[in-house]
This record gives sequence, structure tokens and C-alpha cells, in this order.
Amino acid sequence: IIQGQKGVQGIIIVNAEGIPIKTTLDNSSTVQYAGLIHQLVMKARSTVRDIDPQNDLTFLRVRSKKNEIMIAPDKDYFLIVIQNPSD
Amino acid sequence: MQFEETLKRIQTHKGVIGTIVVNAEGKTTLDNSTTVQYAGLLHQLTMKARSTVRDIDPQNDLTFLRIRSKKHEIMVAPDKEYLLIVIQNPSE
Repeated sequence: IIQGQKGVQGIIIVNAEGIPIKTTLDNSSTVQYAGLIHQLVMKARSTVRDIDPQNDLTFLRVRSKKNEIMIAPDKDYFLIVIQNPSD
Repeated sequence: MQFEETLKRIQTHKGVIGTIVVNAEGKTTLDNSTTVQYAGLLHQLTMKARSTVRDIDPQNDLTFLRIRSKKHEIMVAPDKEYLLIVIQNPSE
């Protein structure tokens, strides 16, 4: 359903260890995105918890000049969607 | 002056709990200790997000970061010299 949305360039599902388990992108892009974003999400999550240990990250949205990366973390995995913001 | 007006507009927006402006060294416009904590942590996170974006594509750059948590939403708008941080209660 997400893949059919206009502007979506890629979807990656990453498990808790940062290993991609499903992807619509090519292998090397997937591995690169998954690794870097996994680190960023861990950092975002610990930032939220450092500010308030009872709080937790529910969503992360990284907008850049070329696209927008949305990350929905869950207990065991996270969903990464890369979208072209102009669409 | 325009900057302060914009900041005031954001501060009076419904649901906004706080705004912080951080300069390039990580110093803030307010000196409350909670603010300093927020500013330091978010400054680091923004730097990490920016380098993530650049590692994926060196010609790209971070324009906005939105961190949603159970209790509230933190929006960070990085600029060349400053970071604008807005903390908002998402239910309002």
C-alpha cells in the first residue's frame, strides 16, 4: 500500500539488529541506508529517553533537500520509507 | 527583529511547550538547566542526522528533523549557524 503511494522511492524493513529483512531498493543502497538509519534511530531513541526516561520514540522524520525519510520504530523492527517530497 | 517576531509567533501557537535556539557551538538563548539538557542532546542528534543524510548522498543536506515521541513532538530546523527547536504537545 505504501509502495503504491506517489513519490515513494523505497521501503526498507529492518530488524532490531539493523539487518534489512525486506526492501524495494537494490542491495547496496539498502545495506547503506539500513546501517546508517539504524544508528540514527538508536541515537534518536536514546535522546528521547535521556530527556525523559518514561518517554519513548514513536516516529522520526528526516527531511533533506532531495527527499524525506520516515522511520516508524517498533519493538522488533523498524519501517523506513524514502519519499520524494515534491510528489 | 523578524527572527524574534517569528519566534514569538511559534511560542504562542497552541500546544507549543517550548522553543530553543541553539548556535553553532551548542549554546542556547535560555539558561534553564532543562533547556541546556535538551539543547545539548538535540544538537548531537541533529549533527548525527545531518551526517547520516550526507553519508547517503554527499550532495544532499538535512533541512528538517521531526522526532515524535509518546509525550510530545520535537521539531528541529537547522540553519547554517543556528538550530531552532520547537517542542509541541501533539494532542493539541
